[in-house]
Amino acid sequence: MKTDDLIERLGGELKPVDPGAAGRRLALGLAGGALVSTAIMLAWIGPRPDLAHALTTAMFWVKFGYAALAGLILAVATRRLSRPGARLGGLALAIALPFVLMGAMGAMRLAMAARGARHALLMGSSADVCPWRIFVIGLPLLAGAVWAVRGLAPTRLTLAGVLAGGTAGALGALVYGFHCPETAAPFVAIWYTLGMALVAALGGVLGARLLRWR
Amino acid sequence: MLAGLAGQAGPYRQLLTELSGRLRAYYRRRAPAGVDVEDLVQETLIAVHTRRATYDASQPFTAWAYAIARYKLIDALRRGRAHLRAPLEAADALFVAPGAEAAMAGRDLERVLGKLPKRTRALIRDVKLAGLSTREAAQKHGMSESAVKVAVHRGLKALSAEYGSLKAQEVGDED
Repeated sequence: MKTDDLIERLGGELKPVDPGAAGRRLALGLAGGALVSTAIMLAWIGPRPDLAHALTTAMFWVKFGYAALAGLILAVATRRLSRPGARLGGLALAIALPFVLMGAMGAMRLAMAARGARHALLMGSSADVCPWRIFVIGLPLLAGAVWAVRGLAPTRLTLAGVLAGGTAGALGALVYGFHCPETAAPFVAIWYTLGMALVAALGGVLGARLLRWR
Repeated sequence: MLAGLAGQAGPYRQLLTELSGRLRAYYRRRAPAGVDVEDLVQETLIAVHTRRATYDASQPFTAWAYAIARYKLIDALRRGRAHLRAPLEAADALFVAPGAEAAMAGRDLERVLGKLPKRTRALIRDVKLAGLSTREAAQKHGMSESAVKVAVHRGLKALSAEYGSLKAQEVGDED
């Protein structure tokens, strides 16, 4: 086909585009993934029995806030990297923010604790399963994020994959927080973060392949 | 592009036309031999169109479009179609239209045969072109076989003489 004819045809099928379309697609993918993730969490390990009480404790909301803030910032970064030629720029600092805050909080808690109590603060009772559960719960979210991003136009696929995976991991940790009975900040700073990192790593590995678009 | 995002086809077409010129220059400088520049231009235009929702109005349009162009170039190289890509239209230059040579040869033959006596012409056509045997040709024209042989031989001799003069004439035409 002649290029001029192509231009004529593309102009002919032109429809107005909403400026928020990219963000909406990502939100849709993540929402769909979150539904599946929540269903998996409920069927597999269930919510914590004392959830009603936990909702009144500060530490539940620290966990929730940490995962929500990380998920939100990573989602914004994912949306940016879904655009051709986009760079992270100042967003890289913003991404670090929730992790620095959570790390500082965990470190402070450890510093204040008596020597003998530190091990319990770090390891809790579920350190061996926590990251893996977050990883599994994050997978449907990763699928939703990948669906959204590959329908946009990322040009740095590995980075976009890491960010999509990070978003999925953070939101997976958010969902997992409704099951997890741990209350120590050092535990959350290490094991929740590791769970998010696992999903982010998977996203980075798969990014170059799964996010390619034509 | 903003007009395009708002759905105005006129300015949008104009934008794509200008963009296609720039893309052509971009790919000519970068695409290795064997990759069809116009294919890349078209693929990029289609991507610009289908992915136009990813254009952020606060960013420069050219940076966005060139990022797509670069992605498409890398994608093309990665698919390794550098070897495979030769559009059929381009191959036209390599081939003469089907039958053209036969037509030209036929025209020359008619021209040469036209200078022979009528019966010799008919004999050469029958024996050398239609593939009749000498005996068949002799029966057809009511001649003896040896007379046919002699006539064809003389005709061919005359033909080769005519062919030589034709060549000389062509060379002369070029002068």
